[in-house]
Amino acid sequence: MIRQTLEDLKKVRPNDLIIVVDDGSKDGSYQRACMEGVHLLRHIVNLGQGAALQTGIDYAKKMGCKYVVTFDSDGQHCAEDIEGFIEILRKDEADIVLCSRFLGKAENIPTLKKYFLKIAALVERVMTGISLTDTHNGFRAINVAKFPDFVITQNRMSHASEIIDLIKRLKMRYVERPCTIRYSDYSLSKGQSMMNSLNIVVEYILAKVIK
Amino acid sequence: MIFIKIFLIVVLSIVFLLMAFSSRYRTYQRITVIFFYLFLAYLILFPDVADKVAGFFGIGRGVDLIIYLAIAILSLIVAVLYAKVKINERAITKIVRDIAIMKSRECK
Repeated sequence: MIRQTLEDLKKVRPNDLIIVVDDGSKDGSYQRACMEGVHLLRHIVNLGQGAALQTGIDYAKKMGCKYVVTFDSDGQHCAEDIEGFIEILRKDEADIVLCSRFLGKAENIPTLKKYFLKIAALVERVMTGISLTDTHNGFRAINVAKFPDFVITQNRMSHASEIIDLIKRLKMRYVERPCTIRYSDYSLSKGQSMMNSLNIVVEYILAKVIK
Repeated sequence: MIFIKIFLIVVLSIVFLLMAFSSRYRTYQRITVIFFYLFLAYLILFPDVADKVAGFFGIGRGVDLIIYLAIAILSLIVAVLYAKVKINERAITKIVRDIAIMKSRECK
């Protein structure tokens, strides 16, 4: 699956720097992701999605990138959507562009997951005052050059909420754009279970209290 | 009664020895540990004292007072340990991230 995703990315975005962060996987993903022109990074132990994103962002900054697009490797995002996201950053109309599966056409979104994500967005709205329709989507375009303080410290899944916090704290201009999400059997099996969201909420609150 | 006292004193002494002879304590911490040990040993040998102290605080039995104190102290220890785990986690993240960036490669 990762090879397919990378092939698509390379075909559609031949001039971009493609960074793959392997978060300590043991199933040979690291070897499979090794394709021409791909920058490959590996966490020697598993840290979590938030940590992997930040590693990728750090590396992109080191390579002198201005904009970073985060992209899930399970094939649920479309490489064709990237151009529109980057265009908004280039025109300086926003500092971060988030993808919403509810504005675009989402293929095969399970009903339960749909309402669940809507509730998550509502909670986020009440807690931060930032109004988004889809808070937990891995597809984002970020102007990292303008915001050196954009640092994700939540290693695991609560980084999505942390990003909303960062938007508020750093006063970033944000927009949401539709994007296509393909729910294949593969991406559904790899996605987090909804029960895990309870852990996320606890983690998030603890982080706020302890900091 | 005497058996449980001996048992408690032995357990307490082992914990005390482990703590007193590990080198990661500062002097004032070690002195605190010693006084705490003496205090607990005293309570084990003369449980009636705990009852008096409990009565002073308006708590029925000395055992109750000790349970309340133990819960409070244990909660505090959990909080401190949690903070330490978080600090460790941050350090590990930094190490793993730096290694990942150092060993990054562009595939050919």
